[in-house]
Amino acid sequence: MSQPVVHIAHFNLKYHQKPVLQDLSWVINRNDNWLLCGSSGTGKTSLAKAIAGLIPVHEGEVNINFHPESTLPAMVHYVANWYQFKDLEGASNFYYQQRYNSSVTVTTATVIAELEVYGKEYGLPSEEIEHILEALGFTALKNSPLIQLSSGEHKKLQLVKALWLKPQLLILDQPYNGLDSLSRKNLNILLEEIAAAGTQLILISNETELPAVINRFAEIRKGALKEVSFEERALDLVEEITKPVPSFLNNVSVSSTADHVIKMIDVNISYSGKQVLKNINWEVNSGEKWLLQGYNGSGKSTLLSLIAGDHPQAYSNNFYLFGNKRGTGESIWEIKERIGLISPELHWYFDASATVWQSIASGFYDSSGLFCNPGATKHKQVDELISYFGLTEYKNRLMNELPLGKQRLTLLARTIIKNPEILILDEPCQGLDQQQTQHFNKLVDELCKNGTTLIYVGHFESQLPSCLEKRILLENGEVKSVEPMLQTI
Amino acid sequence: MSNYFNTLPLREKLNQLGVCDFMDSSEFLDGVNALKGKKLVIIGCGAQGLNQGLNLRDSGLDVSYTLRKEAIEGKRDSWKNATENNFTVGTYEELVPTADVLINLTPDKQHTSVVNAVMPLMKQGATLSYSHGFNIVEEGMQVRKDITVIMVAPKCPGSEVRAEYVRGFGVPTLIAVHPENDPEGKGLDQAKAYCVGTGGHKAGVLKSSFVAEVKSDLMGEQTILCGLLQTGSILSFDKMIEKGIDAGYASKLVQYGVEVITEALKQGGITAMMDRLSNVAKIKAFEVSEELKTIMRPLFQKHQDDIMSGEFSRVMMEDWAAGDKNLLAWRAATGETAFEKTPAGNVKIGEQEYFDNALLMVAFVRAGVELAFETMVEAGIKPESAYYESLHETPLIANTIARKKLFEMNRVISDTAEYGCYLFDHACKPLLADFMTKVDTDLIGKNFNEGKDGAVDNRALISVNEVIRSHQVEVVGAELRKAMTAMKSIKTA
Repeated sequence: MSQPVVHIAHFNLKYHQKPVLQDLSWVINRNDNWLLCGSSGTGKTSLAKAIAGLIPVHEGEVNINFHPESTLPAMVHYVANWYQFKDLEGASNFYYQQRYNSSVTVTTATVIAELEVYGKEYGLPSEEIEHILEALGFTALKNSPLIQLSSGEHKKLQLVKALWLKPQLLILDQPYNGLDSLSRKNLNILLEEIAAAGTQLILISNETELPAVINRFAEIRKGALKEVSFEERALDLVEEITKPVPSFLNNVSVSSTADHVIKMIDVNISYSGKQVLKNINWEVNSGEKWLLQGYNGSGKSTLLSLIAGDHPQAYSNNFYLFGNKRGTGESIWEIKERIGLISPELHWYFDASATVWQSIASGFYDSSGLFCNPGATKHKQVDELISYFGLTEYKNRLMNELPLGKQRLTLLARTIIKNPEILILDEPCQGLDQQQTQHFNKLVDELCKNGTTLIYVGHFESQLPSCLEKRILLENGEVKSVEPMLQTI
Repeated sequence: MSNYFNTLPLREKLNQLGVCDFMDSSEFLDGVNALKGKKLVIIGCGAQGLNQGLNLRDSGLDVSYTLRKEAIEGKRDSWKNATENNFTVGTYEELVPTADVLINLTPDKQHTSVVNAVMPLMKQGATLSYSHGFNIVEEGMQVRKDITVIMVAPKCPGSEVRAEYVRGFGVPTLIAVHPENDPEGKGLDQAKAYCVGTGGHKAGVLKSSFVAEVKSDLMGEQTILCGLLQTGSILSFDKMIEKGIDAGYASKLVQYGVEVITEALKQGGITAMMDRLSNVAKIKAFEVSEELKTIMRPLFQKHQDDIMSGEFSRVMMEDWAAGDKNLLAWRAATGETAFEKTPAGNVKIGEQEYFDNALLMVAFVRAGVELAFETMVEAGIKPESAYYESLHETPLIANTIARKKLFEMNRVISDTAEYGCYLFDHACKPLLADFMTKVDTDLIGKNFNEGKDGAVDNRALISVNEVIRSHQVEVVGAELRKAMTAMKSIKTA
């Protein structure tokens, strides 16, 4: 029998003096394709990085044996749960509204230029790329500058690169985050294709729709890896949090005097002639709960950026917020004060050098990072919410030291801390495990009882708050349909 | 037009140089009210113009852009920037007469022609805003007496002005009102409201004067910000090549080193930068920088003297009149230096290595910052003003070198700064020739700590720390940095 591809023995890993992985062993044989699951913060990402050689192994052994006769690149390629890109000068100092601000100065490469550089670096055949681009619905974006891509599109670009590379071992960390349902399906087909061609897979995910080639399942519990069956895998052992919602969040939020909090009349947005929103007409009344849906690139983020005061083209459109036409003397800070916003982009561009506590407190001021002393009342509220979210032990830790799931919980707490009139939750549960997702959605239901207006974006039909009443569907920048939600029981 | 500063009696010169008030946040409680409902028209839509305009509009103000006819008809970049972000754009004739506040954000060199073109079109009692005082102070522009003249100068590149605003913060800003042009006494209130509109009030605002701003700004950019960074980079690189260090390594160490070193400066002043070195290395860097200060002090003084007397601007404006003959020749020569032509090698240099292997550059930065600061203060400029124009801006300029070396730095800075930078560089290199013959790779290129046991004399270390920490630039800096603690770090390396 051939040597195992990956052989891990007695692997120990500490993070901030706390053991994360303890005496972990794992054997991956040829023809194994694994799914690695488990709740957030159990060390899945660290284990993957150790296999990919991205973090040093101090205690124990991690050995990789590539297939000597394989024509595929003898490498472990790790696709991070986070994406990164740089501008033409090598810096990555971006801010999340930047892609809405037009500037003639070209700051980032286009998708195709980026891929050409990548293909050259690894000597990849250019004829194979078209198929991948098409399957992931990326063809139309070839000439887009990187700065203009949405988070789902950045995720896809990462995947395009990995699928094109076809390494002997491919590790995908939360690959479905931010992908719409069609892209998820197509990704699975592409993964099956490369697996058939000899690439072995390790998927880190809590999803249920998986490529058919996945044949082994494992979970990390208490620092050790345990093989589980397909059925067992879905069970989550995290106990449900039954703490009551902090009382300051039960106060009825100041409600708008206008009937409609949002009113768009023939709203159009375009960049250099390329139209991204076309004749949008949409009214949201105070207290309504909306689900906003559409494929990646359909214009959801742009639409939400208009509402959140993040889009400069709001000023030239026939667009009303809280009963006032935009561009009649209001500042974006007056708008933001009444809105609680979370989105993948907000997370990506958030000040990672702030502590958990500061990040949550910054929600009072709608800033990325905290720039003033919030005072005693707010201080107490932050502490209460931190405890409610189970983040107390992390409160003084920097965001960039925490796993993605904990960062996301922190930003969710930031979103609701001021109990805003409108909640804009754009894929709020990305990076959370199922337990956390359910719990957060219940919290949303609870908060919305007090007349809060809700706009929720979620690709996963099974993971939505139950209070949603209406649905607006976008397609290619246009409103495809507006309809009441069918009550799901 | 004659040099405004030189027309003033000594008493008034000192008076204006000494305007320096770090404003309390309570001064900004009125928000943007002084500009609310007024028509703000910005001339020029480059990086500062566009980003300041986006911020002002997002603060609830009425903003539009005026451009020269040719820029509009030719659909130039400035026109595209403004229209793509849905601003109203019009010619001088169309928009200047409507402006309550006309904001001049064109390059320094165009100020005379721009202001002469718009002044006759401006309505009675309007306000003209500058972001740099050269035109008023050195060129002596006379603005119509009914017009209020103010200055609002964010101390960061335009892209940062926007990035910091949208994240809920701002960049440190300098404001001023020209005493010859404040007929209604509304200048300061408008400048303050403008600051709130760009977010500057959150990161610290320094009330200055046109005179103090120009005389300190010129000094800073010529000496420490651009001049010495250029001289230090070239000398360090050439020394490493002379001593056989790998060219790619040398290029990278210098290109990114200035940025990494000055990032520590930004966070915690000279003290923090020096503290990144080991004790032995710190004492050595201190000694080297003291020696550098002694050698270079007369040159710093000459620059300050020429700036104060107007000699610098006179000579530079002669070059403008000669079609930038010297400037262009010097710019070309910079593009031809060995440092510029050697690409950074594909070697990994750890963050600490940038300090340990480049002790000479740390010494250059300390010597330059302290000398520029000391010379300005001796000349009557207040410490807070001197701080902004020396230590504060050094990391920002170092960032441009990290991006694309000296040619990029000189492209990004104003022509005025670039001209002064070359003047300084040409005089400074010969001055340091003797000193450089004594420099070896322990100071630049290799780890200074190598082969040393790290032992130091307690009292020697204590006295060195004492001198570094008690310097006035450190005392003032600690106070001013409190207001901008949350500023994002800029990183390229």
